[in-house]
Amino acid sequence: MANAIIMPRQGQSVESCIFTDWYKQVGDEISKGDMLFAYETDKSSFEQEAEEDGILLATFCEAGDEIPVLQNIGVVGQAGEDISSFQNSGVTKEVAEAQSEVVEEKKVELQQEVVLKEREADEEVKISPRAKRLANAEAVPYQKIDGSGPEGRIIVRDIEAYLVSVPKASPLAKEVMKEEGLAMADKGSGLDGMVKAADLSTNPVYTNDFEIKKLPNIRKLIAKAMHASLQNSAQLTHHLSADARRLLELRQQVKATEGAPNITINDMVCFALIKALKQFPDANAHFLGDSVKYFNKVHLGLAVDTDRGLMVPVIKNADDLSIAGLSNQFKEVAGSCRQGSIDPELLSSEAASFTVSNLGNYGVEMFTPVINLPQVAILGVNTIVPRPADLGGGAYGFVPYMGLSLTYDHQALDGGLATRFLKQIAIEIENLTIDF
Amino acid sequence: MPKSQFIDPTKVRQASKIEFKDIPVNQYDKTIEEEKVNFSKEQFVGIYHDMVLIREFETMLNEIKIKGEYQGIGYNHPGPAHLSIGQESAAVGMAYHLDEQDFIFGSHRSHGEILAKGMSAIHKMDDEALMEVMKTFFDGTILKIVSENHQGDLKSLARRFLVYGTLAEIFARETGFNKGLGGSMHAFFTPFGVYPNNAIVGGSGDIAVGAALFKKVNKKEGVVVANIGDASMACGPVWEGLAFASMDQFEQLWEGAYKGGLPIIFNIMNNQYGMGGQTCGETMGYDIAARIGAGVNRDSMHAERVDGYNPLAVIDAYQRKLELLKDKKGPVLLDVLTYRYSGHSPSDASSYRSKEEIEAWEQQDCIASYGAELVKAGIAGQDELDSIKADVTELMKYSMTLAIDEEVSPRMDLVKHPEIIGEMMFSEGSEDKMEDRPVEVNHPMEENPRVQQIAKKERFAFDANGKPFSKIKQYQLRDGLFEAIVDRFYKDPTLVAYGEENRDWGGAFAVYRGLTEALPYQRLFNSPISEASIIGTAIGYAMCGGRVIPEIMYCDFLGRCGDEVFNQLPKWQAMSGNVIKMPVVIRVSVGSKYGAQHSQDWSSLVAHIPGLKVCFPATPYDAKGLMNSALQGTDPVIFFESQRIYDIGEQFHQGGVPEEYYEIPFGEPDVKKEGKDITILSIGATVYRALEAAKELEEKYGMSAEVIDARSIVPFNYEPVIESLKKTGRILLTSDANERGSFLKDMAQRITELAFDELDAPPVVVGSRNWITPAYELEDYFFPTKEWLLDAIHEKIVPLKGHMVSNNFTNAEIIRRSKLGI
Repeated sequence: MANAIIMPRQGQSVESCIFTDWYKQVGDEISKGDMLFAYETDKSSFEQEAEEDGILLATFCEAGDEIPVLQNIGVVGQAGEDISSFQNSGVTKEVAEAQSEVVEEKKVELQQEVVLKEREADEEVKISPRAKRLANAEAVPYQKIDGSGPEGRIIVRDIEAYLVSVPKASPLAKEVMKEEGLAMADKGSGLDGMVKAADLSTNPVYTNDFEIKKLPNIRKLIAKAMHASLQNSAQLTHHLSADARRLLELRQQVKATEGAPNITINDMVCFALIKALKQFPDANAHFLGDSVKYFNKVHLGLAVDTDRGLMVPVIKNADDLSIAGLSNQFKEVAGSCRQGSIDPELLSSEAASFTVSNLGNYGVEMFTPVINLPQVAILGVNTIVPRPADLGGGAYGFVPYMGLSLTYDHQALDGGLATRFLKQIAIEIENLTIDF
Repeated sequence: MPKSQFIDPTKVRQASKIEFKDIPVNQYDKTIEEEKVNFSKEQFVGIYHDMVLIREFETMLNEIKIKGEYQGIGYNHPGPAHLSIGQESAAVGMAYHLDEQDFIFGSHRSHGEILAKGMSAIHKMDDEALMEVMKTFFDGTILKIVSENHQGDLKSLARRFLVYGTLAEIFARETGFNKGLGGSMHAFFTPFGVYPNNAIVGGSGDIAVGAALFKKVNKKEGVVVANIGDASMACGPVWEGLAFASMDQFEQLWEGAYKGGLPIIFNIMNNQYGMGGQTCGETMGYDIAARIGAGVNRDSMHAERVDGYNPLAVIDAYQRKLELLKDKKGPVLLDVLTYRYSGHSPSDASSYRSKEEIEAWEQQDCIASYGAELVKAGIAGQDELDSIKADVTELMKYSMTLAIDEEVSPRMDLVKHPEIIGEMMFSEGSEDKMEDRPVEVNHPMEENPRVQQIAKKERFAFDANGKPFSKIKQYQLRDGLFEAIVDRFYKDPTLVAYGEENRDWGGAFAVYRGLTEALPYQRLFNSPISEASIIGTAIGYAMCGGRVIPEIMYCDFLGRCGDEVFNQLPKWQAMSGNVIKMPVVIRVSVGSKYGAQHSQDWSSLVAHIPGLKVCFPATPYDAKGLMNSALQGTDPVIFFESQRIYDIGEQFHQGGVPEEYYEIPFGEPDVKKEGKDITILSIGATVYRALEAAKELEEKYGMSAEVIDARSIVPFNYEPVIESLKKTGRILLTSDANERGSFLKDMAQRITELAFDELDAPPVVVGSRNWITPAYELEDYFFPTKEWLLDAIHEKIVPLKGHMVSNNFTNAEIIRRSKLGI
C-alpha cells in the first residue's frame, strides 16, 4: 500500500519548513534508511531518511517551497498504485486550487448547509463512526452541529459542511486544537486565511499560557522551609535606616587603597551586625518552643541567590574574623554554593545563629525577609537611597541612607528589644571602623 | 423423451398384467462337502480367519466402550462405535470375490466390511502392488509404524497395516486411514477399494450409484457394492439411487460399449433392526427386503434373499450376481439376512428385543457353526481354529497398544498447526482433465451448430456509438456458460453432465442447446426427476476420480437433495484426510415468475455450510470466467444462475467476452461502476437494479454510487469492498434472497467489524420480503427494485433531498415485522 511522505515536525512551535531538495527522483527505488530529502527551518537544516522500502511515486513540492509541517509532500509505494488520494493535502498552489474545486463540487452535490445547534447537557449526540473520526481529525466541535442524517445523526456531510464554513487550519493548528481543546479561530493569519497555531492563542480566555513542571528537589526544600517558617512563628518586621555616609566613605578608601582586599558594603554591614549581635545575645539564638538556645559565638548565615535556588551557607565563628577574613569567607562560600560544591552541613538552618539577606544590590528599598527557623531573627539589607535630612545648623540636604529590615519572632523577642537591637546595628554601621 | 422412442397409444392402452419373476429366498442348500470343489483348505480357513478377525476387532471395541479396557489394556474411547458382532459372515461373504478394483460403500456400522474387503484385497493383490500401496499411502507413515518388529510375510504385514490403520482412525489418530478426521462411522481406505462409509442412514444408497456410473462411463474394471441397512430402504435417497441405477436408457439408448446396466449391487445388510425399530413387523411393510426389487425394474433387480449367517451362501450368491454384472445386467439387489448381538451402540439396552431372541441367534452363531462344519468335514482341526483365535487376539493387543500410544499415534496437533483442518477444507487443485485420454465427442467443436451460431453473435452488448445490439444478436450469459462447458467437454474425458431435461431439451433454459449434438449419451443425459440421486451420484462419480456437472433446475429443489448438498458433498474432502477430491460443479438456476416454490435464491443456505464454494455471476463475462475456474478446480462448487438474466449481453467488459479461455478467480468481487458517495454491493441479478438506482442517484440527487458485484460468495475477499467503503463511507447490500438470514447479513456484519470507523451509516441490507413469493404480477412488492434501494438509502443512510418514499424501512417497522416473524 502506498504511504504519504510528510514534512516532519521540528519542535512544538514550528509551523512550516522550507523544502530544500529531493535526493530521489520520482520512479526511483528507495530503501529504508536512504536519504530522501532535505529541508530547513529558520534555525537549522535537516535531512530526512526514508522510513520504508518502495518506489517514490510522486512528489508534491520542489526546492524553495514553504511547506506546513505534517503535510504530504510525496508518496512512496509500489509501482502502479493509485496516488490520487494523497494529493488532497498537498500544498502547491495548483493542488490547493483543485482541492477547493472538489469541495465546491461536493457542495453542489449534497447542497448541505451547516446548522448549529445548542444541545442540553445530557442530550445524546448521534454521530456516525466515520463522521466522528473526521470531526476528531479536523478538530471540529461536532457537539454543536445539527445532524442531517437519519434520526438526526451527524454524518460526514455535516462535518464537511462545517469545515467549508470555517477557515482552513494548518496541521499544527489542528493538533494544538485537539490537544488543548481550543476552538477554531475566526480568522487565520496564514496564506488564504489559513488558521495557524499562533492564531489560536489570541483570546487569552481560551489560552492556557503555562506549563506545569515538577519541582526540583531544592525548590521543594525551600518551599517547605519557608512555609513552615510562616506557620510556626510570630514574625513581624521593623524597618529602620542607617546613615550610609561612613560606609560609602570606607568603601571609597578600600577602592583607593592599592593591594587592599575587595571589601564590599555587604561585608561591612555584616561586620557591624556582628558587633551588634555581641551586645544582644537574645538575637543570636534559636527559639526551641519551651527553651531558647543562646550562642556564645556568632555563626552568620548569608542568603545567596544561585541558579539552583536560594541557599544560605553559614560562616562559623564569624565574630573571630577580621573584616578581611569575613570578606574572604563570604566570597568562598558564595562561590561554593554557585558551583554546587558547598558542604551540605553549612546549609542547615540549625548551623547558623543569625542570617543576613542583602537585596541592596537589586535596588530593593524595603522587604520582609522570612526567618530561617529556629533562628529568632533575620536582617534584610536594602539599597542605599539619598534622603532629605537635617544637616544641623538649620541646613537640610540629601544624605545616603541604607534601609534595614529586621524580621523577628515575637515569640522569642519583644518589640522593644528588637528595636533597640536594630538601632544598635544602625549605630554600628554609622560608626564603623575597619582595618585593611 | 427422445424422439427415437415412439409412444404408441394403441400399444400402451392395451389390457395386460404385470408378472413378476420369482424372488428366491434362502435357496442355498449346498453342504460343505459339496463346496470342497470350489474352495481350497486355505480358502475355507481364510474365511474363518477373516470372520474371527472382525469378531475380535468388534469385541475389543465393545470391551473398551463398556469396561474401559481390552485384555488388560486400559483406554477411554469417547467417540462412537456401532458394532456388528454377529454379522461377520455377511461381511466376509460379500467381500470374498471382490478385489481392490471393486468398490464398496458402507454405513455407520461398517468396521466389519472394511476388514473383510481389506483382507479380500490383501489375499488377491500381489506383493509388489501391496507394498506399493503401503509405501505410498501418506508417504509410508502407517507402514513405518507397523513394520517395526514385524516378522512374517508381506500379507501378514498388510494385515497389521489394515487393522492398525482402521483402529487408529476410529481413535481419531493422525496416523489413521483418514488422519483421524473420519472416525468410526466414516473410516475407509480407497487403495483396497473401501470407499466412504456413511453416518447418514442410506447415505451410500445414491453415492454408490455414482461410483458405478463412473466405472461404466470411464470403462473401469470392477463393480460397486452399496452396503446399506435394511432400515435405509425407507429413505428417499436410497429409492432415488435405485431409480437412477435402473434407468431404461442404459439398455435402450446408450450405445456401443456403454449399452447395458450399471455394475452395482445394492447389498442390504439385513440385521432386521433399524436402531431398535424392527423392519419386518414394525417399521416397514416389505416383509422380506428382497421384495423391493420387484417394484424397481423388469428384472426385479435380480433380487434374492440370502442366508447371511452362512458365509458360503453369501459367496455363492456373489459368484452368480457378479456374472450378471459382467453381462451388464445390473443393478442387483441382495437381501443378506443377518443379526447383530451387540446393541445399536454401546448405550443400547436392547429394550426392544427379548433375551431369548438374542440367545437363539447366538446358538446359531455364524462363526461357531462354520467352525464346527470345518472340523466336522475334516478341513481344519479345533486346535488350528483355536490358534487362529489366539493369533488374532495378539494382533488386536498389538494394534491397540500402538494405536493408543500418544507418541506413535498422535492426534492432529492443532496447537502447533492451528489451521491444519482449515487447509483441508478445499483441495484447491487446478486440473485441465481428471484423466489423460482422448475425449469421446460426436464431431469437432467447430462443426457444432451452437458453436457456429455463437460465432455470429456480438460479444459486447453495445455498438461503437453505445447503442445496444438487438437481444438476439447479443452474446448472452447462457452462451458464456455454454462456451466454458463445451470447452471442458472437449478437454476432460471424464466430464459428464446430467440433470432434468439436460439432453434433447438442451436444459430448461437452453444453456446446453447444441451439447446433445456434440456428446454421446453417456456424457450428457437426462436423469430421473430426483435431485437426491442427481447430486448423490455426482458425489460418487467425483469420489472415484471423475469431473461432473449435475444440474438443479430450480434453486427451490435444493431441499430435495439437502443431505447430499449439506452433509455429503462438502464433507468428504476433509473427512478423507484429503485422499478424496470432489470436482463437482452443481449448476443451480434461480427462478422468478413461477411463484413460491420456483423463485427462491437459497445461496445463503449453501454459503452457511463449510466446504462448499459458492458463486453467482451476473454477466456473460463473469459467467464464462467463473465456470472455467469451477471446472478447472477440484472442489465442490454451487454455481448459481439467474433465470432473469440468461439472455443478458455483456455490458461491462470492454472488448466483449473473449473467445479464448480465461479464468476469473473465485472470491474476487468486481466493481461494475465506479463512484464516490455510496457503495452498493450486490449478489446475483440485483446488480442491474443497483445500476438503475445508481443512475437515478446521479441524475436526481447528485450522488455518485459505486456498484460492486460480489460474483462469489464463498470464498470472498472483503478488501475491495473495504477500499470502496473508505472512499464512500456508506454501503447498501442487495440480492433477491429473502432478507432474514440472507448472506448479505453476514457480509454486513463482517463489513461493520472490518471497517467500523469508515461507516457513515450502518450497512443496510435490502433483500426480498420474508414471505412466500407471490405471482409474477405482484413481484415488485416482494423482490428488491430500484425504488426500494433508493428508499432504503433515504431512510437509513443519507436523506435524499425531495425524495418521496414508497417503502417503509424505518426502525419501528423493522421491529414490528420482526415481532411478527415476517
